[in-house]
Amino acid sequence: MRAFLAGARIQLAFFRAYPDALIPFFTAPMFSVIFQLIFHHAGRTDLTGYAAIAPVFIALWWMALFNSGWTITIERWNGTIELLVAAPASFAAVIFGRITTTTLAGVVSFGETWVIARLFGTTVTIEHAWEFVATIVVTLAAMAGTAVAMASLFVLARNAVTFSNSASFPFYVLGGILVPVSLLPAWIRPVSSIVFLSWSADLLRAGLRPAPIHHFAFRLGMVGLLGACGLGLGMYAMRVILTRVRGSGELGTT
Amino acid sequence: MRRVFTPRKREPVTALDGVSLSIPAGEVHGLLGPNGAGKTTLVKILSTVLLPTSGRALVCGHDVVAATKSVRPLIGIVFGGERGLYTRLSARQNLEYWGALYRLSGVQIKERSAALLERVGLTDRADQRVEEFSRGMKQRLHLARGLMGDARVLFLDEPTTGMDPLAAREFRTLIGELKGEGRTILLTTHDMVEAETVCDRVSLIDRGRILATETPRSLGTLISRFQRIDVEGAPPELLAAIERTPGVSSVSLQPDGSTRVEVNEEGATGTVLRLLVDAGVTSVRTSLPGLEEVYVQVIGERGLTI
Repeated sequence: MRAFLAGARIQLAFFRAYPDALIPFFTAPMFSVIFQLIFHHAGRTDLTGYAAIAPVFIALWWMALFNSGWTITIERWNGTIELLVAAPASFAAVIFGRITTTTLAGVVSFGETWVIARLFGTTVTIEHAWEFVATIVVTLAAMAGTAVAMASLFVLARNAVTFSNSASFPFYVLGGILVPVSLLPAWIRPVSSIVFLSWSADLLRAGLRPAPIHHFAFRLGMVGLLGACGLGLGMYAMRVILTRVRGSGELGTT
Repeated sequence: MRRVFTPRKREPVTALDGVSLSIPAGEVHGLLGPNGAGKTTLVKILSTVLLPTSGRALVCGHDVVAATKSVRPLIGIVFGGERGLYTRLSARQNLEYWGALYRLSGVQIKERSAALLERVGLTDRADQRVEEFSRGMKQRLHLARGLMGDARVLFLDEPTTGMDPLAAREFRTLIGELKGEGRTILLTTHDMVEAETVCDRVSLIDRGRILATETPRSLGTLISRFQRIDVEGAPPELLAAIERTPGVSSVSLQPDGSTRVEVNEEGATGTVLRLLVDAGVTSVRTSLPGLEEVYVQVIGERGLTI
């Protein structure tokens, strides 16, 4: 826990030192404008929920994924990654703390996105407040957990930033963030169902609609379960990969 | 212990080849060798960030591979150069972060970081970004960072690289203080003066092998067969006779008018001295080689070749 908190605290300091980590605060409103324009032009005001949720997910995912890659890369460039591994604190727990803090900061994009929607004459109304909030909380945890799994791969990959950049859009599609999974080819849907984003995005959109949310507990549980699997896998993979790179001598290689 | 790197599509490189070394608690041990000798590889293995290919290493009785969790709280690592610090954070933020990673409580972190900043003379710059520091200041911060966990064993990997002579001297004084506190220090360097000044014992390492482990002074006597004899007022015929003596490698005239006789066999020095004294030449001075000469003699002059 102390390692997690140490990671969280240092990340807050890094926000001031490396403000580029907060780029999604600028890109989320832009995505929001684009989506609002598309749906308004098409006369599909019924898709407001997609336009309101998609930029938030893009911001959150980008912050979690990009930062997990960026964190590892910066540690390598700084020459601190070997010192971190040699410290008594769990390396994975420190990284988890840093990623969680970054992901939490991404919540700001909810406000930004909905202000943009308001400017377009659309009011985002949360019809199921408790379910909506619960979904956000579990989604953030799942996001951070999954990013740890990504971070372990970035320890293995020398150029983690390139990898994290290219890994974002496939997840936007698989997660049904903008285009519903039901519109994707049938063979993709099973893959999509193991991506927590798809469950989470569906639930958040359902929280904006007046209709009752069916099987809420199960669907929320799937978000949590898939996130926990990501975290567990990430922690395990981190241990295995660290042993591997300690063996190959590539831990500090940039 | 042995460590072989197997880079992709290239021949394996043996970084450590049968290294065997024991350092008693409280000793400052110098690891002296040229670039690529295996010094950093050895430090990385001992500090648990690299695995040996074969063999084992113990730190305070704990195996660095099987018992990493026991080893890590006991060690502090200090690298030389610019890397190893968060340059956009302040000195205090750096230390507090590492304190947390060494599982110190909030109060301990505050107290120890303040004490270490004071000790390395950075209190006035504590809240300044590290990127604004000079090389010497960064190096002092490196040392403070390595001490945040109150390490019993310190690995200093070329800690004075790039420092100006004054800063390097201050740094060596700090190392002396740390030794006084009973810490065990492994110092890698290719600076002879540094090794002679601060180390209790020195190991010469080259191409992954430990060539010799001695005190800085006795390492000099290791090659005392390469002793030098400086002579004044010796007649030319006597010098010619000395040059023909078995074990004498050279007789050369020095810029100050004296003659230097160099020997390369044990016992040759005594023979030369007897010849000189028998001939009535008493202005004679013998000298042991310094560590730098030992280094050159043992490792050889290979220029920039690694």
